[in-house]
Amino acid sequence: MAKVIQRRSLTLLERSYLWEIIKGMGTTFKHLFRNFKNPEKMQLMSYPEVEVQTPQNYRGSHRLMKRPDGEPRCVACYMCSTACPARCITIEAEPSSDPRIEKKPRKFEIDWLVCVFCGLCEEACPVDAIRMDTRKVAISHYTRKEFIADMPRLLNWDPKDFPANDAQSQKAPGGKQNQQAKQIWGLEVKHS
Amino acid sequence: MIDQIIQMTLNLDMPQMSVLEWIITLGKFAFVFIPLAFIVVMIFMERKGASLIQDRLGPNRSALPVFGGLRFFGFVHNFTDGIKLFTKETFIPTYAHKVWYVVAPGIGFLVAFLTPAVIPWFAPLTWWTGDHISQVSGMIIDSDTGILLMFALSSLSIYGTAMSAWASNSKYALLGGMRATAMMISYEVSMGLSLMGIFLLAGSFNLQHIVAWQEAHVWGIFVQPVAFFVFLTSMIAETGRAPFDVAESESEIVAGYHLEYSAMRFGLFYMGEYAHIVIASIIIATLFLGGYAIPFVSTDLLRAHVDIALALCLGGLGTMIGGFHLMVRRWKKVYATMGAKDAGTRNREYSFLQFTSGVASPVVLALAVAVFFLLNPMAATTVDGTPIFPAWVSIAAAAVQVVVLIAKAFLFCWIWIWVRWTLPRFRYDQVMSLGWKILLNLALVNLVVTAIIAKLVTGVR
Ligand code: SF4
Ligand code: SF4
Repeated sequence: MAKVIQRRSLTLLERSYLWEIIKGMGTTFKHLFRNFKNPEKMQLMSYPEVEVQTPQNYRGSHRLMKRPDGEPRCVACYMCSTACPARCITIEAEPSSDPRIEKKPRKFEIDWLVCVFCGLCEEACPVDAIRMDTRKVAISHYTRKEFIADMPRLLNWDPKDFPANDAQSQKAPGGKQNQQAKQIWGLEVKHS
Repeated sequence: MIDQIIQMTLNLDMPQMSVLEWIITLGKFAFVFIPLAFIVVMIFMERKGASLIQDRLGPNRSALPVFGGLRFFGFVHNFTDGIKLFTKETFIPTYAHKVWYVVAPGIGFLVAFLTPAVIPWFAPLTWWTGDHISQVSGMIIDSDTGILLMFALSSLSIYGTAMSAWASNSKYALLGGMRATAMMISYEVSMGLSLMGIFLLAGSFNLQHIVAWQEAHVWGIFVQPVAFFVFLTSMIAETGRAPFDVAESESEIVAGYHLEYSAMRFGLFYMGEYAHIVIASIIIATLFLGGYAIPFVSTDLLRAHVDIALALCLGGLGTMIGGFHLMVRRWKKVYATMGAKDAGTRNREYSFLQFTSGVASPVVLALAVAVFFLLNPMAATTVDGTPIFPAWVSIAAAAVQVVVLIAKAFLFCWIWIWVRWTLPRFRYDQVMSLGWKILLNLALVNLVVTAIIAKLVTGVR
């Protein structure tokens, strides 16, 4: 139901503008005085010296998931680079040495200067190989080249930074070590 | 021809000036740099004021590379900004008019050097040299045109704006320049008219006389409150600051007249704006807040008790340093609880500042006490019942008066900042209607009423 809000007409004092200005200046001065008196009450954080605690599901920069044997989980299906609106993922495929998997990436690069951090690559991946849960958003480098994250960089993450109770965020299952896969997924990966 | 002129000048019947008179007369030119010195403090004040009003800390990261980084709560940013502006690329757009484009930023900045010339920084110095009375005026140019000269000079800065707008050959810049010119035309009228009341009362255009009148009677703000309001508003509009910054309103015309400028050319506009504010603050303090005069203390009284005045000034300084000491101690504790990675470095800096201010404060306070006990101003002679003091007393009193004037000017500088961070920008038509329909009429009515009352009360003029 629509609610009609009646506009209150301004009183003479308000229309004179001057009184309202004085009131506004009072407000700003109150802030100034309060912050000068109690700096510790200001809602602020001395970033970057103070670590900012972002939630676990915050969409930050990417990482590539690994199989238990340390190989990238990516199967070079190009889904992510097709979905990417910024066209910033470059993939080159090569035949996989694992007989059950067709391809693996030889080169996997994300240009973080071009990326818009939309998360569509993460959504598109059929095997959960790319994730954006590193919570790192302040990416700063001196040259443009350094902003292009290649495969070793994307694979280089510390399991300690991710919740230990969530096995999937630690290591993606599959690959040669079926025993481990079974532990994590609870099911065996079928041989072809 | 030139020989003749020099000969004529030398043959003029000029009173012989002593060495001290020469030194003071030439030394007065140093006051030209006061607006520039103000700018450094003013930018810091603006940043800190803005950040505290908006519940944040403000820029504080650049540091001097000594003692593991001294940040001075962000004061170092002024200097790093300067380095940045000086070392950036100075870019000239292809279609700009090269000559005017380069000359324009300098004009507004140059004016900042000229206007302090007519401001009375202290009461006219008089001292007894041993056989006669020496006298030096408190202004650089002691002229009866006084404030008119200042208006003429300060309105020259609009040429810089208009010229830069035209020369940069950009639509936005031109619009900004047009707006600035229109604003300046409309507000200059009410600005000049609002002051007529105080000229009427003081009976002079000479700022020295106006201050002397206020010293003898009452501050301008009490007899001319309406004029004060109109003048302050027009001055804020003149300097083109919020809420009157339509000339550079970034939401409509990007940055207005200095849109095409970069590096130090932009820096000149930026500093010119601040210099303009400082000049305006000093002028308002002079016209409405008694200038260099201390309330209820005449210049003669000040000279007779210059030891007390100096001691009070030093005492105030010592107290301020002590306040800074307490502030640092407080903030050190706050920062330690934040859990920052650089807590050690910062702790060292804060300890250093705490130690220095903790030592400086008692030293300055002790100096204040020493000044009070050691100095003893004695009248050297008396002329018509007025005591005439030796030179050092006059100079010390003048120093106190300069400090008083600067303190008053700071108050107004703060009002500029405060207004800017409180009020949103006016629309262009609102600015015009405020200028022409309200302020101008207020100024005219104020003039008429002042004239009638002055006629009734004094019965003369
Ligand atoms: S987050 Fe979006 S823009 Fe960035 S790589 Fe993924 S799909 Fe492309
Ligand atoms: S990251 Fe996922 S979507 Fe992208 S190529 Fe690899 S498997 Fe395919």
